[in-house]
Amino acid sequence: MSVDTPTTGRPAVVERLKRVTDPELDRSIVDLEYVERIEVDLPRVFVRFALPTAWCSPAFAWMMASDVREEVEELPGVGRVEVELVDHMHGEEITEGVNAGDPFESVFEDATEGVAAVRATLDAKARLARQYDAVEALSEAGLAPEQIADLRREDVTLDADADRAAVAVRDGALTVFAPREPLARVVEKATETGLVTSGEDRLFASPEGEPLTPSSFDLVQRRARLAKTNMGGQGTVCDGLRRARYGADD
Amino acid sequence: MYQHEGEDVFVVDAHIHNWDASEENIIHEGGEQFIQCFYDYHTGFTPEEHQWDLAEYRKYGSDRLVKDLFRDGSVDMAIFQPTHLEEFYEEGFNTVDKNAELVEEHPERFIVNGRFDPRDGEEGLEELERQKEEYDITGVKVYTAEWKGDSKGWRLDSEEAFEYLEKCAELGIENVHPHKGPTIRPLNRDAFDVADVDDAATSFPELNFVVEHVGLPRLDDFCWIAAQEPNVYGGLAVAAPLAHARPRKFGEIIGELLFWLGEDRVLFGSDYAIWEPDWLVEAVMEAELTPEQREEFGVEFDLDVKKKVMGENAATLYDIDIPQKESDLRTDDISEEFGLADQYDRGPAPADD
Repeated sequence: MSVDTPTTGRPAVVERLKRVTDPELDRSIVDLEYVERIEVDLPRVFVRFALPTAWCSPAFAWMMASDVREEVEELPGVGRVEVELVDHMHGEEITEGVNAGDPFESVFEDATEGVAAVRATLDAKARLARQYDAVEALSEAGLAPEQIADLRREDVTLDADADRAAVAVRDGALTVFAPREPLARVVEKATETGLVTSGEDRLFASPEGEPLTPSSFDLVQRRARLAKTNMGGQGTVCDGLRRARYGADD
Repeated sequence: MYQHEGEDVFVVDAHIHNWDASEENIIHEGGEQFIQCFYDYHTGFTPEEHQWDLAEYRKYGSDRLVKDLFRDGSVDMAIFQPTHLEEFYEEGFNTVDKNAELVEEHPERFIVNGRFDPRDGEEGLEELERQKEEYDITGVKVYTAEWKGDSKGWRLDSEEAFEYLEKCAELGIENVHPHKGPTIRPLNRDAFDVADVDDAATSFPELNFVVEHVGLPRLDDFCWIAAQEPNVYGGLAVAAPLAHARPRKFGEIIGELLFWLGEDRVLFGSDYAIWEPDWLVEAVMEAELTPEQREEFGVEFDLDVKKKVMGENAATLYDIDIPQKESDLRTDDISEEFGLADQYDRGPAPADD
């Protein structure tokens, strides 16, 4: 029988699923409306999801399926999470493999690159696209390129305010406030990707991971914009496919 | 000929197919999923009143193709980009020989590209020679994500592929069109990565590499490579329909392309029959950058640039002399059949409208 508790009912599962992103688009699978069905019957949780096309990369699908399991398993009272990918040319293999905890490489033996490597590539792009927004926000807040290039993780205080981040410039002589969201997002991804491991680390870098400098500032920002345009463009294509396949909800 | 603001725009549709995805032709479930995926692209971005039903879409035939392009679509010339997919379709999906039939019928209107697959070894090289000999091809479409036996793809920078590119250079097949776009099972990094174009383009400066679908899931990688390799071009197929459905997104993409590649290296393609030039040519011609985009990218998408993208750039790659062509098209069988002669009749004096 269902023993939903206030903390682990359907809404809690949805909240948790918001952390799972489509790795190519860097957007939540909940916002993208990939999640088709959630059943909570503790300790068991079942999540069914579908992608915009049957041809979506199996590696991407695998990442999302395994992220769903890992995220939902963190919730109190949850024992076993089962995930099902439907309407995909490798739906069955992915569903079975992820639920059995098999490695991707054993299910897709012809893959020349493991999931971890693909994820690292996509994460680096997501970091760059987020950097674009953060750098734009800082420029609008009045910081000069050399000040932005110089920023270290410890110069940014995210809990200063609900909407604003405090940014220390000129060795702390001056504090500038900037919108919190873009900065929080880039800090999150820079940390996740290992670009930032301590407070001393520079927050912004080129696509290749070289620290941002005043002389590389413009080119890096253009390349970061390009990463963002790519994600937005691909997101638009995926959205069009999803609507064609499943119909618009609105 | 497309008319825009009182001016003629010569349209070369640089990416079309004549496919057969009829149920009788499908031999692998991948073939059915492939056409379903194409159909999702079709319905996802085609204005509702122009959408086809799936039965028609599976196999539309040559007559419809000719009408859709030249009678209704304002296209002056079109380039076939073959996609064989012989593991999926009994007679292939969209083959060189099938496409060539239309070139024989309407030589002024069509250009057929060949194709190769380096996994075909010596036989494949001979096949490439045959294509050159029979159809005098000057370009090839290559589908690096095509399945073959146990293999799910190949790379353009492999030793085997280089052998084929050498053969292309030797035979005077100058234009190589790698499909680097929307997914066909990009399980292997090979299949969706555009990095292999980089090495190929550097190694074969005498060839042109037209990356189809502007690498869209990897537009960023593509632009970065193209910015450094002057012989890399971008084919707009798949990006183009965004001009209608999401004009702002299209503006961003075209802004990036013009910024990184410049106005001489972007080619229009409808990807017919995924989309019809009928509404697509108009959508791209009507597309405008917003003032913010113009400022952000520092580029213009004005009539001169559009003329290049819609036809002049392809004409340069495929040695099409546009004024000469217009004069030839005035009397060809298609102009006669559909009454198009007048649009090619420029006369000695400029029109005063």
